[in-house]
Amino acid sequence: MFSYYLKLALISLRKTPFLSLLMIMTIAIGIGATMTTYTVSYLLQKDPIPTKSDRLFNVRLNSYGPDKPFNISQGKEVPPFILTYQDAINLQNAKQGVNQTPLGSFKIMTRTTEQSITEAKMTPIRSTYRDMFNMFEVPFKFGGAWDEIADQDGLQVAVISSELNDKLFGGENSVGKSLLLGNLQYRVVGVTDDWYPIPKFFDYRTRAFNKPRDVIVPFQTQINNELWTGSDVSYQCWKEPADDSFSAILASECVWVSYWVELNSAAERNNYMDFLVNYSMEQREYGRFLREPLHQLFNVKEQLIERKIIKDDGNVAVWLAFAFLAVCLLNCMAMMVAKFHGRAGEVGLRRAVGASKQDIITQFTVETCIIGLLGGILGLLLAQIGLSVTAQLYSHLYAEMLEMTAGIVIMTVLLAVVSAVTFGLLPTLHAAKVQPSSQLKSL
Amino acid sequence: MLSMRHLSKAYYTDTIKTQALQPFDLSIEQGEFVAVIGPSGSGKTTFLNITGLLEDFCGGSYELDGVNVEKLNDKAKSKLRNEKVGFIFQSFNLIPELNLYDNVDMPLRYRKLSSKDRHERIMDALNKVGLASRKAHYPSQLSGGQQQRVAIARAIAGKPSFLLADEPTGNLDSKMADGIMELLKDINAQGTSIVMVTHDAQQAVKAQRIIEIRDGMLSERKNYDKAIA
Repeated sequence: MFSYYLKLALISLRKTPFLSLLMIMTIAIGIGATMTTYTVSYLLQKDPIPTKSDRLFNVRLNSYGPDKPFNISQGKEVPPFILTYQDAINLQNAKQGVNQTPLGSFKIMTRTTEQSITEAKMTPIRSTYRDMFNMFEVPFKFGGAWDEIADQDGLQVAVISSELNDKLFGGENSVGKSLLLGNLQYRVVGVTDDWYPIPKFFDYRTRAFNKPRDVIVPFQTQINNELWTGSDVSYQCWKEPADDSFSAILASECVWVSYWVELNSAAERNNYMDFLVNYSMEQREYGRFLREPLHQLFNVKEQLIERKIIKDDGNVAVWLAFAFLAVCLLNCMAMMVAKFHGRAGEVGLRRAVGASKQDIITQFTVETCIIGLLGGILGLLLAQIGLSVTAQLYSHLYAEMLEMTAGIVIMTVLLAVVSAVTFGLLPTLHAAKVQPSSQLKSL
Repeated sequence: MLSMRHLSKAYYTDTIKTQALQPFDLSIEQGEFVAVIGPSGSGKTTFLNITGLLEDFCGGSYELDGVNVEKLNDKAKSKLRNEKVGFIFQSFNLIPELNLYDNVDMPLRYRKLSSKDRHERIMDALNKVGLASRKAHYPSQLSGGQQQRVAIARAIAGKPSFLLADEPTGNLDSKMADGIMELLKDINAQGTSIVMVTHDAQQAVKAQRIIEIRDGMLSERKNYDKAIA
């Protein structure tokens, strides 16, 4: 029977091609606009690390001097979102979390040992402890994280992205091969495997939707080799360093190191906060931490909202998009009423030859399903166009990031079908109510 | 096999009650050919719609092939209509987008028949009306008389007990009308009861019984010539 209804639906669509196309287009435009907005919102605001986002914390210490606070927000003093080098190292040595790491960064000319110096490219580098790989769930294609000794001694080892591995080593297993960062030779110990956390919660706001850096080296390597790129770090001081040397920066009260800790559970947050307060009290003995101990721990979502990477506005844009879809569907419903009204004669005849109201409802519902399905498929194409336009408009978003997931594709088509059937229900019920005897003289 | 007792029908608006059919008794036996005559607006079509379960009645009782239809729900009524009744309309009421085969198939689709069964019934019905060779044609490619033959094929494909015909020759010239009447008589001769509403005296006299409806009053006429006059 379904195939019969399908056949009737296709005949009906062919009978009124303009009206049918108009209905399909109306649904497609609504679905396209809604799903473009929803996809962008979903991809940009989804939990980048769902297994542990509630127990992964950005650490903030109120290490600023007594004269003025780091910042005031809504009348309240706010500690810096980055730490001094000495605090980062102290927290690292204290090992109070399951995993913890400072995050540093710099830029340097990078090439393989086989490439000439002219082929070197300026490359942004991430510096960190090995804990980061486990903490941020970094997948590996080849090799793995460096060992603890590399962390302690600042060995010249590197983990590179699979993309860089493709470019420099033709995609082969490059573990053990060498890379030149500046003049220094680094040994590749691991190649990451398509690691694109969205948003990149541990980075600066302006970089939250960029790909992770292609080269990751031990934090201590950056320190040992005095690798510093002023333009690549957020660097703020309440007291200038003693001189311009790198060691003076390390010993100074200048903040520039982002710090993350993973705890066993979200409940351990208070314990870690107590630890931070105790730590700052101890530091007072050295004349530091003279302000209130307004230290803060932000879990991943809090960090994303506080850094204004995502908005905590209940997705107004998505609601507006769904409202637009509802308007489109109401228009479509009006067209369905007109279309089905024109078929009252056929309904009357079918009722006369033995179709029940239920049969008529099923027949028309199959037709609205087809309209919804076609609208959904066309809407999917429009949404793809919408996404590629969005990716071009916002150049900080990389194109692959704005691709619909299989789940969203299925959801788009389903949404179109369900919406069409729901909004088609009223016209369908209306059509099924036709008094057959009133129609049979006029077909 | 069709029995109506004290059956009546009235239409109501906010303030006015219009009695379309006064209470009447009527029985029609298997194989009868009954003509229903009367002036326009007298209630003939209302009578036919009630007989074919397309309209509800207000009072009395109605049994169709031993089934009391009064308390049937929509689904059961539709099933009974599908199995027991075939309709033939003045304006043929074929679906223009469906070919003859699919038009005749329509009532069979609402029964749980195998496609082989359906095919046999459709071809049998089209053969009976002499249009089997044109099964792939569309209604617009046929003359009025041929279209009415298709409508008759559709009505008899389900092998109903009753054919209800509402002015089946009303839109046809006399030659075509005679052809349709011959066909209906053949069908009747094979045992199918026919109730035919008509204005045409020439056609009415071909029925075995004539029922006249005037101002909602239903009465039987034994003397055909008088009734028509």
